[in-house]
Amino acid sequence: MARYPLASTVETSGRQVRKRPRLSAWKRSEYLAAALFIAPGLIWFLAFMLYPLFYSLWMSLHDWQIRGPSEFVGLANYARVFADKVNLIALRNTIVYGLLSVPAQMLLGLLIALGLEQLSRGKVVLRLVYYLPVISSWVVVSLMFMFLFNSEGLFNYVFGDVLGLVNPQTSWLNRASTALPVIALLGVWKGLGWSMLIYLAALQSVPVELQEAARVDGANRAQVTRFVTVPLLRPTTLFIAVMLTIGAFQSFIQFYIMTGGGPVHQTEVFLSYMYNLAFNFLDFGYASSIAWMLALLILAISLVQFRLIKSTYEY
Amino acid sequence: MQRSLRLAPKLLTGVIALAMLAMASAQTITFWHTYSTGSGEEQTMLNEVIPRFQEEHPGITVEAVGFPYDEFRQKLLTAFAGGVVPDLVRMDIIWVPEFAEMGALERLDGYEGFEALRDGVFPGPLATNYWDGGYFGLPLDTNTQVMLYNANEITDPPATIDELIALAQEKSDPAADVWTFAVPGPWAWYFLPWIWSNGGAITDEAITQASGYLNGEATVAAVEQLVELYESGLIAPTINNSGIGSWEGLGAGTYLATQDGPWAHPSIAAQYPDIDLQHAPFPAGKAGSISIVGGEDIVMFADSRNKDAAWTFLQFLLSPWAQSTMATTGQIPVIESALQDPFIVEHPYYGIYLEQLQTAKPRTPHPAYSRIEVAIQDAVQLVMLGDKTAQEALDEAAAAVDALLR
Repeated sequence: MARYPLASTVETSGRQVRKRPRLSAWKRSEYLAAALFIAPGLIWFLAFMLYPLFYSLWMSLHDWQIRGPSEFVGLANYARVFADKVNLIALRNTIVYGLLSVPAQMLLGLLIALGLEQLSRGKVVLRLVYYLPVISSWVVVSLMFMFLFNSEGLFNYVFGDVLGLVNPQTSWLNRASTALPVIALLGVWKGLGWSMLIYLAALQSVPVELQEAARVDGANRAQVTRFVTVPLLRPTTLFIAVMLTIGAFQSFIQFYIMTGGGPVHQTEVFLSYMYNLAFNFLDFGYASSIAWMLALLILAISLVQFRLIKSTYEY
Repeated sequence: MQRSLRLAPKLLTGVIALAMLAMASAQTITFWHTYSTGSGEEQTMLNEVIPRFQEEHPGITVEAVGFPYDEFRQKLLTAFAGGVVPDLVRMDIIWVPEFAEMGALERLDGYEGFEALRDGVFPGPLATNYWDGGYFGLPLDTNTQVMLYNANEITDPPATIDELIALAQEKSDPAADVWTFAVPGPWAWYFLPWIWSNGGAITDEAITQASGYLNGEATVAAVEQLVELYESGLIAPTINNSGIGSWEGLGAGTYLATQDGPWAHPSIAAQYPDIDLQHAPFPAGKAGSISIVGGEDIVMFADSRNKDAAWTFLQFLLSPWAQSTMATTGQIPVIESALQDPFIVEHPYYGIYLEQLQTAKPRTPHPAYSRIEVAIQDAVQLVMLGDKTAQEALDEAAAAVDALLR
């Protein structure tokens, strides 16, 4: 049994350590200190994460009223999730947005990280430049893009009036077929700095010896990257893929601000629909059931990603 | 020395009692509104109306809190859900039945002086406060939309929709970024005047059903007309939620005319002094020139703890002095005595609004109006996009609204 000196024995050296049947004052104070450090975070977690989580589950089983008694409706809200056509549109839009934005962010992030690795100067500045969009406000950049792609906006002016590549009167945000790529463009612009940063950090941990060994074996730079570096980055790629997909499924602000989910739900995503249902129509029970179904969906997709991307061997 | 010490506790008790008495009679009432920050109406309310009220009623302090309109309804819902509510609210007329039905509002019928107020206001705006057999508020200010046009470009404003179309055929030129008229957006507030002026309707008089009205011949024809005007480039793309805003467009000469309320002129004239902004009645359709009633009601929350003080302030807001004072900032009064007010009579354009108000219609005064509005707006937007014909879209909307009215 380890012996911990009591504070008193430290000050007045020579005193014998008491044998104790229970925790020494020191050990107790250690545990107390630990508890005090954890307590704020734990309380915050319980109050603002766990409690709302289970309360929303409760809400999804009721026809929840903001004041007064709520009627228990069982799984009726969940049944409604499957019957509601808008959820299908939201699913379509979310998948398209995910397909358009996630691979692009990963690929561009990786390419920029690889490129930055090679740079001898300007690394820090360029890193900052690419990362700035990540920390910018979603609301501000959504408004910015909304003005850029207004039918009288800068994009139509440059690519329509000046370059003649598109119809200068195009109303980009009016239909899903044109709005989704625009919103995905915003997502990619805003997010690629994040994957770049993660990849940059991961590239530091790629063993140089393996790359040098490949060079010695006659591989050129591209081949080294493709056959040695990128496979070694697999755990990072999995992490980024899962995080970005979760993010794509939870995208809200850009849709809510740029199109409001409209017209007529054509650019609706799960979160914008939920938000309208809850705060405009006061249909909190149904909105909560959509939230839980979305959570299950994201979980399922993440599990699939784990299976597909996770490497079977470690280095 | 001994005697004064013995007196001390009694003095102290006396002082505390007086202080508590003073605090009890000094009430603070909270008044929530959506006057834009820094606007004339906000400044007048804060610097003239409220101070004068507080002078006349020394025991009452009014704490006015402003909110942006976009988040106001949610703010009110949150306050109600949490039970921490303001005493008085200047609330959009379309929300009053909804909040009354929820039990959030205090019924005013029994308050002293209510009858006098009720009989002194315009009946149209008053009706927006009526729900379930009682009045849950009183009108505070009213407004409507008329046509605003740039007199530099249009010398003779069209009096009918047909005249407007003829003018548009002459003057609209999408390739040169010029449109004669801009309907500011595919929102009910803007396109309902078009529907009503063409003889259409949303529901029957008794507000029991929409089928036969929302998808009736006249309504369908009105919507088809709007789409036709948009697709042929006679009116601006704003009706399809595209293009620059109506005010900016007027200032830039992109739009020659638009429709809006009395708050528009001061702002547009200030920002774009080069254009000569004038008012004219809304162009008349087959059924006449029928615009839309807007405005705000003053309501008291049922959870308020200062109801008597709040009622006193409410009465003050409807007094001739307060109504006239707010009228100078674009808040059209709701009391009938205002019609004789020299400021109103001599005003350059209030007369047009008041005249328009005589035939203006309110939006459906029903608790489910928020959802009804979405159904109607969705339908019109689908038709604008070309995804459905007007008849199809309105048939669906009528079915949806029927369900909401049940």
